[in-house]
Amino acid sequence: MSEVDMAVIKPEMMKSYIWLQTADGSIQQVEQEVAMFCPMICHEVIQKGMGSSKNYAISLPQRVNPAMLSLILDYCRFHQVPGRSNKERKSFDEKFIRMDTKRLCELTSAADSLQLKPLVDLTSRALARIIEGKSPEEIREIFHLPDDLTEEEKLEPLKNTTDDPRIRLLNRLYAKKRKELKERQKLKNIEVEEERVDDRSVDDLLSFINGDNGDSKGIKNSKSKKKNRRRKDQQKNTSANEAIKNHNKEPNGLNQVCHSAEVGQKVRAGVGATSNLHDVEDDIFDNKNELDDGDIDDEIDPALKEKIDREVEDFARRLNSDWPERMQEILSFGHERKPVHFSLNGNGSLRRYANSEQR
Amino acid sequence: MQKKMAYSFPDEVLEQVFSFIQSDKDRNAVSLVCKSWDEIERWCRRKVFIGNCYAVSPRMVIRRFPEVRSIKLKGKPHFADFNLVPDGWGGYVLPWIAEMAGAYPWLEEIRLKRMVVTDESLELIAKSFKNFKVLVLFSCEGFSTDGLAAIAASCKNLRELDLRESEVDDLSGHWLAHFPETCTSLVSLNISCLRSDEVSFSALERLVGRCPNLRSLRLNRAVTLDKIANILRRAPQLVDFGTGYYAAELQPDVFSNLAGAFSSCKELKSLSGFWDVVPAYLPALYSICPRLTSLNLSYATIQSPDLIKLVSHCPRLQRLLVLDYVEDSGLEELASSCKDLQELRVFPSDPFGAEPNVSLTEQGLVAVSLGCPKLRSVLYFCRRMSNAALVTIAQNRPNLTRFRLCIIEPKTPDYLTLEPLDVGFGAIVEHCKDLRRLSLSGLLTDHVFEYIGTYGKKLEMLSVAFAGDSDLGLHHVLSGCESLRKLEIRDCPFGDKALLANAAKLETMRSLWMSSCAVSFGACKLLGQKMPKLNVEVIDETEPPDSRPESCPVDKLYIYRSVAGPRFDMPPFVWTMGEAVRILH
Repeated sequence: MSEVDMAVIKPEMMKSYIWLQTADGSIQQVEQEVAMFCPMICHEVIQKGMGSSKNYAISLPQRVNPAMLSLILDYCRFHQVPGRSNKERKSFDEKFIRMDTKRLCELTSAADSLQLKPLVDLTSRALARIIEGKSPEEIREIFHLPDDLTEEEKLEPLKNTTDDPRIRLLNRLYAKKRKELKERQKLKNIEVEEERVDDRSVDDLLSFINGDNGDSKGIKNSKSKKKNRRRKDQQKNTSANEAIKNHNKEPNGLNQVCHSAEVGQKVRAGVGATSNLHDVEDDIFDNKNELDDGDIDDEIDPALKEKIDREVEDFARRLNSDWPERMQEILSFGHERKPVHFSLNGNGSLRRYANSEQR
Repeated sequence: MQKKMAYSFPDEVLEQVFSFIQSDKDRNAVSLVCKSWDEIERWCRRKVFIGNCYAVSPRMVIRRFPEVRSIKLKGKPHFADFNLVPDGWGGYVLPWIAEMAGAYPWLEEIRLKRMVVTDESLELIAKSFKNFKVLVLFSCEGFSTDGLAAIAASCKNLRELDLRESEVDDLSGHWLAHFPETCTSLVSLNISCLRSDEVSFSALERLVGRCPNLRSLRLNRAVTLDKIANILRRAPQLVDFGTGYYAAELQPDVFSNLAGAFSSCKELKSLSGFWDVVPAYLPALYSICPRLTSLNLSYATIQSPDLIKLVSHCPRLQRLLVLDYVEDSGLEELASSCKDLQELRVFPSDPFGAEPNVSLTEQGLVAVSLGCPKLRSVLYFCRRMSNAALVTIAQNRPNLTRFRLCIIEPKTPDYLTLEPLDVGFGAIVEHCKDLRRLSLSGLLTDHVFEYIGTYGKKLEMLSVAFAGDSDLGLHHVLSGCESLRKLEIRDCPFGDKALLANAAKLETMRSLWMSSCAVSFGACKLLGQKMPKLNVEVIDETEPPDSRPESCPVDKLYIYRSVAGPRFDMPPFVWTMGEAVRILH
């Protein structure tokens, strides 16, 4: 019997198939109830009357190749049966989803183009589970993705426009600070200035490097003594009190309870200048010209810097650390770094720092 | 090597996949994979977590993630909890709110920790975000009940208002009345930190009564015991409840009313509050104890026998916070009754006393470590410890992830051998391979840091005080702990060398705090100059660091990585070291 005869004899049977064409040209017929499970196919059938015969086969999106179509139809064939329990469906899904990542990706794509949301969900979740817990390199490896982000993009670079309001504010603050420093300097010059001496002798440093730990234990910051002062006003109620307030802030194993509780009560030494930004506004225009002689050198003394560099190197060598690498890194920051910070010249104009000037 | 074709997806598909990836770590990994993934990911990122508000600027965040609905920010360093960070240091949220008000009109959630929040910020939130749902202010300060009133009045869909441990200027209890009668959306309300004695109780009752989805309610001290029953009867669906004062003269009718109210709360699993407990009222809780998973008695000054009785009724307990009145005997009871226990915190009742006032020793902790197989997280204040005990704990509980031990007196040695506790803590890091957080105390030499550097490969946060002998100690930690994110140190003889030799390490961490150590001003400047991606802040309230010789140690040092450059909101006693900006002030 020919196809046409079949159609005449059993119209119902013919009608229950939908014709689908994949991008490679191949055509197949699929049980109607199975195919209609896909919204995209459903739409084509109902809205456009397509799919009823070979000549009017529904053209499936390019992402649906025959292999993917076959998988999708398996999925639809199972789930379109109304009587199944949730447990059955879940079990099917778990088995269904087991495939290599490449197929999973193709399947997700294909399901999405057919608007088959439950399958898209299922496959997306599976892909998400594959991605979770992995490093970027691992993810790239699995999905064959290019490593095309630049270092800068990874780090989100600083903005460095000169009319960034923060830069302007920065300059104002700096101007004020310079003024203060100058004033303090003037006051100091009036008094007899004591010679500034590096408290630790070279001998001490050398002996440290050579392994004598004797003096390092004794390092006492004069300030640390303040912390040992007992609070005078002990609120010793058994009920809610400061002690509990402190522990309420989840102190950890640090004796803060004894020693730093009083730090909180310590009156802040009168720090004169309040950083009131509004006041600073006035300064900048007045001070611009005064900054000529204000080039106070607060850079670290090069000789001391040398000494510290040497000590660090010795120390690291002693510890067999990868000093040369680290030093390279640290040094290279000075050279490669893009100059994004600005500073005031003596005459108040901005200039960029060229790194070679630093050393 | 054959070039492989990338598995390509349409954007919508990738978005769908990403929607199932929610953890920050995974989202960050995804965005580092390649350009196209980065681009897609940033447009569908809805939640952002910023562990240090100065590490990035609001504008950068907004530029990168244009469709954020939920943001979490942390401000001051952890040591601010111990009053080591002076007032005015920073952590202001207003600049963030101001920028987000324009950029994220659909922002729904703001969670802040240790930040300064003003009434102005709160009013701006109330005005700017039409769909605002969640406000969590954890350990924040700077605002008053006026700001809260603005939130209450304007946020029509408010679900969570949680002020845990914040300092609020309690101007009036009537802010609660600003919740409109139409507000029925509350799921969580935590006002436990409010001090005022006048909470508008009737407003509170009405509010609770009209919010059928209320799951978590934490009252403040002002709410007296007799009022609890009324509240509970209006909210029997509560899962988490914080009482106020749990003290009153024992009266049978009050008691039975209270017991009845508690028993009607079939979902109640978590209790807290309990200021000033009268033990006679504890049995009112017995009906819900079998379901309790979390119990916070850290304000309850009840003695061991009463605690034992209560705890023995709670076999499902997973989390217990308690004062050291629990004593070793109470902890032994805990160990035998509560096999599900995961977290234990024991706080000191009299930390300033010279002599112990309770019989709580290392034995209690050993007992719990032996009896509670699921124990993961410990915070323990005590007065004596031994290496043997620590080794036992480590061997019993290799599944510990957080171990914070506070021996109250600094530099206390092993009380049995008088030796340092290096070996004990060494055992902890060696056996507990998943340890993420550790706090040290007692007498400790450089050796303990050697152990930590060798074994603490998953350690993310380390707190150190009065420990170590030399720079070697710090060097061990910085060079050995691969996962280290936060390091906080006080009163240790760590100086320049270890810090400078490991400078690159600092860029892999969130932050480093060092106070009362031996880091010189010169080294700070050097670090600031050479490491542009770090903000090196010197904090000194008494005088500017440059008024002393460069070899002088700085008082406090806070170093953190940042892509935003130096900040501009510093008070006069904070200086940022840096290349071009020198001593920025």
